[in-house]
Amino acid sequence: MDKDLAIETRDLVKRYGERIVAVNRLSMRVYRGEVYGFLGPNGAGKTTTLRILAGLVRPTSGSATVFGDAPGSDIALASMGVLVETPTFYPYLSGRDNLRVLARYAGVPEQRIAPALERVQLASRAGDRFSSYSLGMKQRLGVAAALLKDPKLLILDEPTNGLDPAGMADMRALIRGLGHEGRSVLLSSHLMTEVEQICDRVGVIRTGELIAEGSPDELRDRDRLRVRAHPIDEARQIVSRLSGVERVGGSDGALEIDADPALASAINRALVSAGIDVSELRQERGSLEEVFLELTQDRTEIGVSSHDS
Amino acid sequence: MIASIAAELLLLRKRTGVWVLLAIWAALSAFFGYLLPYLVYRSVAAGPVRAPLTQLLPQHVVENLAGSFPFFGGAIVLILGVLAFGSEYGWGTFKTLFTQRPGRLQVFAAKVLALGLALIPFVLIVFVLGAAWGTLIGRVEGAAISAPAALAVVRALLAGWFILAVWAAFGVALAVLTRGAGLAIGVGVLYALAIEGLFSGFANEVALLRPIVKGLVRANAYSLVKPLSGSSAASAGAGPGFFTGPFVPSEQAFVVLAIYLAVFLGLAALLLLRRDVA
Repeated sequence: MDKDLAIETRDLVKRYGERIVAVNRLSMRVYRGEVYGFLGPNGAGKTTTLRILAGLVRPTSGSATVFGDAPGSDIALASMGVLVETPTFYPYLSGRDNLRVLARYAGVPEQRIAPALERVQLASRAGDRFSSYSLGMKQRLGVAAALLKDPKLLILDEPTNGLDPAGMADMRALIRGLGHEGRSVLLSSHLMTEVEQICDRVGVIRTGELIAEGSPDELRDRDRLRVRAHPIDEARQIVSRLSGVERVGGSDGALEIDADPALASAINRALVSAGIDVSELRQERGSLEEVFLELTQDRTEIGVSSHDS
Repeated sequence: MIASIAAELLLLRKRTGVWVLLAIWAALSAFFGYLLPYLVYRSVAAGPVRAPLTQLLPQHVVENLAGSFPFFGGAIVLILGVLAFGSEYGWGTFKTLFTQRPGRLQVFAAKVLALGLALIPFVLIVFVLGAAWGTLIGRVEGAAISAPAALAVVRALLAGWFILAVWAAFGVALAVLTRGAGLAIGVGVLYALAIEGLFSGFANEVALLRPIVKGLVRANAYSLVKPLSGSSAASAGAGPGFFTGPFVPSEQAFVVLAIYLAVFLGLAALLLLRRDVA
């Protein structure tokens, strides 16, 4: 076992019946002290994976470990704080009493409740019933609950859901701070900016499979060339025939070419020698959002996994 | 484990529904055990119908109330058992509990033990209020009042708790089986009040039903309290929960009820441990 690993999954599979494959041979690693972003469209298998890691769902095959132990084991649960999907608490209890129940179950001193509430800025409403909370407040309470055990690992499923912009900024700062404290964070999110700002590494999941992994910079490092030329259709045909060109897309009257930037002069030469006017040729770096859409768009409409969000 | 039970007791104590059930149970016991019989007593001038006054006095509190546990007491705590587990599915809070430190089995055990502790006031309140009502009636009627036999009270408390525990466990099993509260309450109350009642009602006329009825919860629960009810066992036969047999020996009844308890809790634990939590 690698002692630097907080989470490891190997060929993890979760099937629901014969047809639905929520997680498909997923292998991923989250290291200690790392903030890992888990990206994927709805139904990609993110939440099912998080549920498996939290010990709520058993995998059909493959393995998963949390600090070297099986998910749901005493050691794994003692080391992790979890917020999966919508925070669920007892509606008739106050926020403070809900945390009191969890503290007793987790075997942690109740003195930790007040600091946890302070940390998510919910102390002033801690005596109110959970049923009276806004979605953002519920989300904050969920994070406070996850922090109660002072965990080495936090699994957070879209923690900024329902928060206003200021609340989102606070939550991101909190998560960044948790990372700086040396905790591992597995953060599932739809929000690219959030992931870009917070995460050390990112994994992209689509139809249950991990299709890309790396730091946000590494993922963005898929340079492309942007060419504005006339006539555009002829230019497209010429460029797509060149060797080394992986893909030719287009928007806004320009070509977007996935290719080694070193090919720029060759592309320019080919177009000019074919009598095409080239008014612009430059290298540009895609945003993480563009990379994400590019990676996930093709097959999201197929919706192999519709079981989770 | 003690902290987990304390957590569950906090949940039960702060839940309005638990207090409402306790109040309903206390009111039903008082109404059918004291108020209604007393009104009957007062409305009949003389004759054999007047005899029940002695049953209403505090020295007979055990005989008077023991018969209420197998019937509507059972139905009420069945709802309590359903609420304790079924609501967790509705609110999604099993997900929150199962990601705390203790494993699922400890969560289940803590919930069951806390539920068992919560049944104690359900047993006590009936006898305490019964004794109070009996004292009041005795004073009004100028009857001689004395305390019930301590041993009989202890036996009644234990038997009452045990019967309620079986019905509550039935509620727990239904809640876990149906993963919710609504259907479990519907099915449970229908079974407890109607199905077992109909079987018992026809058992004396249809011989074929008698061995079946002898295996049901209600017959065994009534059989368990029959020695406590003494000659007034038929007191339960005048109102809701009318039961005239068939009875089984109380030892056999205890064993059958213990088996029911183990099966209900075992089934619930097994399902809770094995199933995925959505």
